[in-house]
Amino acid sequence: MDTNHIVLIANRGEIAVRIAQACHRLGIGFACVYTEEDAASGHLQVARELGGALFRVSSYHDANEILSVADQAGATAVHPGYGFFAEDFRFARRVTTRDRKMIFIGPSWQVIQALGDKINTKRLARSLGVPTVPGSDRPIYDEQEAEKIARSLYEFQLQQGVAHPLVLVKASAGGGGMGIEEVYDIDQFRSVYRSIRNYALRQFKDEGVLIEQRICEFNHLEVQIVADRTGKNPVHFGTRNCSIQSTGRQKRLEVAPGFAPADIKYDFDAAALLDTITSHSLKLAQKVGYDNVGTWEWIVTRDGSPFLMEVNTRIQVENGVSAKIARLNGKPGVDLISEQIRLGLGEPLGYTQSDVSLEGFGIEYRIIAEDPANHFSPWVGRIERFSWEPQPWLSMHTHVPAALDGTPYDIPTEFDPNLALAIVWGADLAEAKARGHAFLDSLVLEGHDKDGSPLQSNVAFLKDRTDGILRFA
Amino acid sequence: MDIEKRAQHLTDRLSYIRDIFVGRNGEIIDSLGVRLDSFFQNLADGSMKSPLEELVQLEKGFDEVERLLDSSLTPMEKVRIVRHPQRFCLRDILENVYDNFTEIGGQDEHSIDPSMVIARATITRHQGKKKYSQLIMVIGQEKGHGEEFRNGGSVKPWGNAKARHFMQVAETENIPIHTYVFTPGSFPVEDYPGAAQQIASNLYEMAGLSVPIISVISEGGSGGAEAIALADRRLMFSHGYYSVISPEGAAAIEGRLKGGARATPELIAHCAERLHMTAQDNLNFGYVDRIVQEPCLGARPFHYDFFRTLRQEVIRATDEAVLGARGFSPMRRLTLRRWGRDDTNMDEVFLSWNLSDSAREKLVAKRQKKFLRLSKGACWDRRPVLSRLRRNARESWDSLYARVKFELYTRHRQRISNFMNETLSMAVWLRDRMLYPITRKPVGPRLRPETVRELTTLSTWKEEDESRKGRWAYVSPRAREDRTVTCPNAATHGCLDLWAPDLYGEFAGVCTTCGHHFPMEYQWVVNNVFDADSVREFNAEVEAANPLNFPGLGESIQKAKEKTKLKSACVTFEARLNGIRMIVAMLVGPFRGGSVGAAEGLKFVEAAKLAEKKRYPFLAYVHGTAGIRIQEGTHGVIQMPRCTVAVRRYIEAGGLYLVLYDTNSYAGPVASFLGCSPYQFAMRSSNLGFAGVGVIKETTGIDVPPHYHSAYKALSRGHIQGVWDRREVRANLEQLLLTAGGRNLYYR
Amino acid sequence: MLDITRLLEDIKASPHEEIVIRAPHTGVVAFESCRPGDMVSGVSGEWKERPGTLLATLTRERNPKPVTAMQSGELRELHTELEGKFVEAGTPLAVVRHFLSREEVISMLLKHALHLFTAPERAKYYFTPAVDIKIKTGGSRSVTVHHGMELLIMSRMKRETPVYYTGPGGIIYTVYFKHNQNVDAGAPLLGVCPESQLAVVEELVLRVQTEWKERA
Repeated sequence: MDTNHIVLIANRGEIAVRIAQACHRLGIGFACVYTEEDAASGHLQVARELGGALFRVSSYHDANEILSVADQAGATAVHPGYGFFAEDFRFARRVTTRDRKMIFIGPSWQVIQALGDKINTKRLARSLGVPTVPGSDRPIYDEQEAEKIARSLYEFQLQQGVAHPLVLVKASAGGGGMGIEEVYDIDQFRSVYRSIRNYALRQFKDEGVLIEQRICEFNHLEVQIVADRTGKNPVHFGTRNCSIQSTGRQKRLEVAPGFAPADIKYDFDAAALLDTITSHSLKLAQKVGYDNVGTWEWIVTRDGSPFLMEVNTRIQVENGVSAKIARLNGKPGVDLISEQIRLGLGEPLGYTQSDVSLEGFGIEYRIIAEDPANHFSPWVGRIERFSWEPQPWLSMHTHVPAALDGTPYDIPTEFDPNLALAIVWGADLAEAKARGHAFLDSLVLEGHDKDGSPLQSNVAFLKDRTDGILRFA
Repeated sequence: MDIEKRAQHLTDRLSYIRDIFVGRNGEIIDSLGVRLDSFFQNLADGSMKSPLEELVQLEKGFDEVERLLDSSLTPMEKVRIVRHPQRFCLRDILENVYDNFTEIGGQDEHSIDPSMVIARATITRHQGKKKYSQLIMVIGQEKGHGEEFRNGGSVKPWGNAKARHFMQVAETENIPIHTYVFTPGSFPVEDYPGAAQQIASNLYEMAGLSVPIISVISEGGSGGAEAIALADRRLMFSHGYYSVISPEGAAAIEGRLKGGARATPELIAHCAERLHMTAQDNLNFGYVDRIVQEPCLGARPFHYDFFRTLRQEVIRATDEAVLGARGFSPMRRLTLRRWGRDDTNMDEVFLSWNLSDSAREKLVAKRQKKFLRLSKGACWDRRPVLSRLRRNARESWDSLYARVKFELYTRHRQRISNFMNETLSMAVWLRDRMLYPITRKPVGPRLRPETVRELTTLSTWKEEDESRKGRWAYVSPRAREDRTVTCPNAATHGCLDLWAPDLYGEFAGVCTTCGHHFPMEYQWVVNNVFDADSVREFNAEVEAANPLNFPGLGESIQKAKEKTKLKSACVTFEARLNGIRMIVAMLVGPFRGGSVGAAEGLKFVEAAKLAEKKRYPFLAYVHGTAGIRIQEGTHGVIQMPRCTVAVRRYIEAGGLYLVLYDTNSYAGPVASFLGCSPYQFAMRSSNLGFAGVGVIKETTGIDVPPHYHSAYKALSRGHIQGVWDRREVRANLEQLLLTAGGRNLYYR
Repeated sequence: MLDITRLLEDIKASPHEEIVIRAPHTGVVAFESCRPGDMVSGVSGEWKERPGTLLATLTRERNPKPVTAMQSGELRELHTELEGKFVEAGTPLAVVRHFLSREEVISMLLKHALHLFTAPERAKYYFTPAVDIKIKTGGSRSVTVHHGMELLIMSRMKRETPVYYTGPGGIIYTVYFKHNQNVDAGAPLLGVCPESQLAVVEELVLRVQTEWKERA
């Protein structure tokens, strides 16, 4: 491939470190940005070691800063990482259509826009026969129509044997959990509908609502898709199970693959289900001409019904756990971030689905300074020691200098207090779990806040949850 | 003693002459001074044989010189006369023209606004031995010979509100109103109410006030004058001026002066001449009906003859207005003709000024028609005569058709269909009620397969109907530039720089952080608010011209025409909004600042007429307007009352008149035909008011806070009815079309 | 009791403040005509509507933005070596030696006289909506606080937590934090003037008004 590329890494922390490393491995140049607040982050150190240029910017959130630096650095491509600009179709559009055009390492902006709209995604899925959550697939503006849908949803659930049917009313223009309410008594529907409609009108100037079945007791599964710029031949890199989350629905522990039919008994044919959701995901990817890495999010009910929730048009935090179990032509060492960059820069995929195989189990732990007992509230202070025993089955990704060279690190208050991602691998589920325990036991993580109180972390929480992975709670 | 007093009077006259003629006629004036000095000298040392004779000679000399000088007065000298503290003022008129008066709008400085005086006055006429006393409401600006608290006759909004109030009182009492215009212009503050808001309200009131209004203009400064001058008969003092702007203001604009820099006297004098602001000019244009002759070099309080003349003139004007309203019987016509002669002593004839209801209606209609007729020749109407006739014929047909359709056919059809629907609905209800026990549905869920399908498979959805989602039919050319734009609220709201293609494209010129609205082109609204391909322009052949041959205007109009590809700042068109047809008059900012002159006024009036005939709603979309086009002088300023009359006629005929402001909208148009609409809305990008910040500072010395003219401030002042987001204009307009307006809309 | 005289003497001994003007963001810098030694003016006008002296222009993404002096004083340094160069965010561009104004001296002294409510954590702070509306309409001094009152919202790590006021009741005399700016733990957020202190504060203000001679 053309190694004259320079990638501007528009991100920080762990993902910036991994992108820098991937660029280095691919033999292409890169440049990093940082803010004054974040000057102690390990991604600066890695950038210096690997010969990447560094630029101080006023904010990671300011696209103007990113592009101004990109021009100055002579960048030919921008990698958004995750968060920040990763799913911002306007940013992607600007990068690729401005006078000095660059490559946006991610799907084309049209794809991001199409799949960024949940209603559009749902309708695309339904047009292909991909299962989605029962309910409306367009904004409803009429009260009578809304109630009719809600009533049939209610009866539909009763017929399905749901003892206490629930209906969700949500503002179609909303997102992030705002403007959603549950209806448990169908006679209350009208009042809930009106309150959401009025909220939506005030907040989003659009009184459309969606009415959907509220699905309880499910596992959260993901399908990892990889495609090249032709958008014609996507492949999948298996599934992940991301059901273990904080109270605020933030993922804490991810496992690949998504179920373990050999080790755990399910109420349904789990192997077949994994095939179903991967093939559905590929079908949709093909339909939209998906042209980079992405994740199809599914929920799977206890009785084995899958529903496509949304598509994340970016590399995800937990990409490493899929890479860990993936074998390309039988060989381990897959790096999805390198793949993303390589394909993003226009290289052809070079393999087909039959070249991809999966082996063993991977567990990813997100190590975070927080107090799981107290609504996972973040802990702020100084990290003094951070170490672990290196193992051939273990990968660690961190930007915390305490782990890199022992320098104490004050956690910046601007961002989530994520410290590291740890990925362990085992040939079978039992070995993976045992190694997970072994790793967490070997972990040294110490620090103090300004009052001298010791660091709080979610390590005990992760250990506690390791035993129950891939099961329905 | 008497001699000394009379001599002293000559000194006053001399200094007055010196004040009027700055840098002109120096020799003559000086020789007059020398003669006066030597007279005093001789008087002091007693060397005169007959001082009285000498004095009479000297007085004759003064008269002669004054006559000589008067024959060659320049417009600027007339401006100085009008502004001179020795000039007669309203109080002199009240004392010398009327038989009796009582001030009711306050006393001296104890007044809500001492620059506006209201008085009840009487005029007593004799016929033989009989005495007839009639009441008049006198309204006018008072300069008070330079009294500080009178503010030079520059009236504050609440002063104009007071005037409007007493006009209504006069209407209730059915007595005529005499207004006297002595104002350099209105005091341009935006308070509660704002200057523009109040003047618009006054104009709207006068456009339909059902008692005779006579106004007499001494100093007629633009909007301030119009606030009390929409009259049945308009008289003007021979030495007065009536203008769209003060010569200094015009010079500041012409010389492109900024930040308090002063124009040269030559430029000011030049502008005074170019604006054609004298009584004779305005009589020629038809904007005043008659000139009241003043003594040489302008009337002062000691010119008692002048006040007698004035009394005759205002009585005659009132009689004319009254007779005109009563209809012309042959006897009245004859009488009127005779009374029109200057030798009739109006005090010795009698006409009752009390009007019957039908006469009052006729009076208003006559006044409205009078104003609608004005200024026709001051633009370039290139509409071919034949097609104009054809159009008129078609419009008359439309009007007839509409009347037949709506009043006969539609109304009846509606009644029948309402009756049918009601009956049907009741029948269904009764049937269901009676069959209820039989058809009662079994309990328990039994879902039909199609219901399940509805819940889990793709539904049909015409997305285009629901929302445009940032896909606009018109995108600004500024969206083609790869650059960023800083939001003016960045410092306070933390807005990040916006990328021009996003900002001017998808975001419709709205900052995504704070909602600040950047101004957009008028094409944005034309293409994104109205239904696709529904816009049909009419009267495009009416072109802005240069009626006063104002130097440079011809070229700049030409340039504006080339730049904008338009023929005037007003574009009138028919359009649809979600199927509802409407007439739109649009003022376009980039064409000479959206200024209004005779062409714009003509198009606006025609649009209002057409909307009335077709029973369409009428929208004034003000992309932007800087005010009246000053280079057209009174041809421009007359558009204020003229268009207001057109709007009032339309509203009273049962229409829906909406105003939507988009960018900067100031001065005359806002203070008249725009500001009088009961439904005015402003986009967040708009600023509106009477005068800009610079003009306020210059004329009043007041510093105004930032955002003084913003749409939200206008809303707080009660000037407008709402502030709209640009992206919601279409939806909001549709809502208004359905919920606001009068009885005569075709779709109701 | 507060020793106003001594505090004033201390400030008089060093009446200047060196203000470093930094590039607010990345971009290419072009300096204007003023040079070290020149006097510059700060933001002025009744509504702070007139910007200070233009020192440089910073161009990013074809959008030239003025860099102006925020306070008046003598221009001490100007990094003209950066002319035409790309600078990072936060790069020092100029230093202004600012002679403290009366208002500033008062605010320095007030820190001694008022009850300072400090930031519990390094975070961004906002007033609760109810208080915010009051302040926006009537100014901070229209707000009376009392112990235990929900006053602020602390925003950090993308989470928002309410902050309750602790300390004596009184009016909010001064607000020390700015919108969207991090405040270090322990730094003052608000200066609250208890009823009993009002006289002292007024005296202090009066003293400074009479004794402090402003210089350009």
